[in-house]
Amino acid sequence: MDELKVIEIKKSIYESNDVEAAKLKKDMKDKHVFLLNLMSSPGSGKTTTLVKTIEELKSEMRIGVMEADIDSDVDARTILKTGVKAIQIHTGGMCHLDAPMTKEGIENLGIEDLDMAILENVGNLVCPAEFDTGATKNAMILSVPEGDDKPLKYPLMFEIADVLLINKIDVIDIFDFDIDVIKKRAKRLNPDIKIFPISARTGEGIKEWTDWLRSEVKFVKESN
Amino acid sequence: MHEVTILVELVKMVEEAAKENNVASIDTVIIQIGQLSSIVPRYMREYYPNTTEGTILEGSKLKIEMIPGNGLCHHCDKVFNVAKNKGKCPICGADDWELLSGREFNLKEIVVTENKS
Repeated sequence: MDELKVIEIKKSIYESNDVEAAKLKKDMKDKHVFLLNLMSSPGSGKTTTLVKTIEELKSEMRIGVMEADIDSDVDARTILKTGVKAIQIHTGGMCHLDAPMTKEGIENLGIEDLDMAILENVGNLVCPAEFDTGATKNAMILSVPEGDDKPLKYPLMFEIADVLLINKIDVIDIFDFDIDVIKKRAKRLNPDIKIFPISARTGEGIKEWTDWLRSEVKFVKESN
Repeated sequence: MHEVTILVELVKMVEEAAKENNVASIDTVIIQIGQLSSIVPRYMREYYPNTTEGTILEGSKLKIEMIPGNGLCHHCDKVFNVAKNKGKCPICGADDWELLSGREFNLKEIVVTENKS
């Protein structure tokens, strides 16, 4: 019988992804491209919000979009109609994108001629929060019909998001959704989170959201 | 299916460590899972044999150590289990606390036999 030996490792399983993410973050900064990682659950209006955002900004900056999905290319085709560059990334059954997949997406999209690249992550509030993609900033969408209890159920997502978009604000009257409660719950998990109530359908709040994007893109553009 | 993706990362990490340490075979892989992480130990155990098939980990045992989700109350300085007490300090009832542990997902150690050199 061979002798057994214990090898101590003590490393986080996310470590190799975190290393890749840090590399990608630096690479984006060096190339002066702002990379936004957009996350939400399915049906929150991610693609509609994206279309509205692109329409507002496309005349003043060069935008490229990566649509991540388990399968299909419906989202990428919707984005292409806005006239900006878009590619579809298939995760092949995986519930999130990690940093190496994001890097591959960036290479396929080509960012040399871009000011802002947007990654539309897989619709899911759990796994995408655990894997750093290497994005400059993380934004999440929570829509009114999903309920104001979501920070209690998916705390990590609210902790890692730089921005919370509360979508479908135009239908708030017919749902039991308290905007002050959600703000309090989100801020408790993440005091620095920026919160924008929006309606991708009516256009309400889109200006405040795109103003934030404008200043972030400018900051990356002008940084050394 | 979340656990499968995470297991793939674990396999990669163990393979790397095995290569570095001149490992012949792996007997046991010991991981730590935080009580408040989104990883379900039962599924980890269930998918482990399939995910490790065809790798150096095939046939090895998976040992899981749980790390409690503990918080430190900012009001009375007591340490308490966050999940059991539903996010409120059981001593003074305050909901102003910081998380000390419970989000971990670590590869702690591997038990191996080494190649004879």
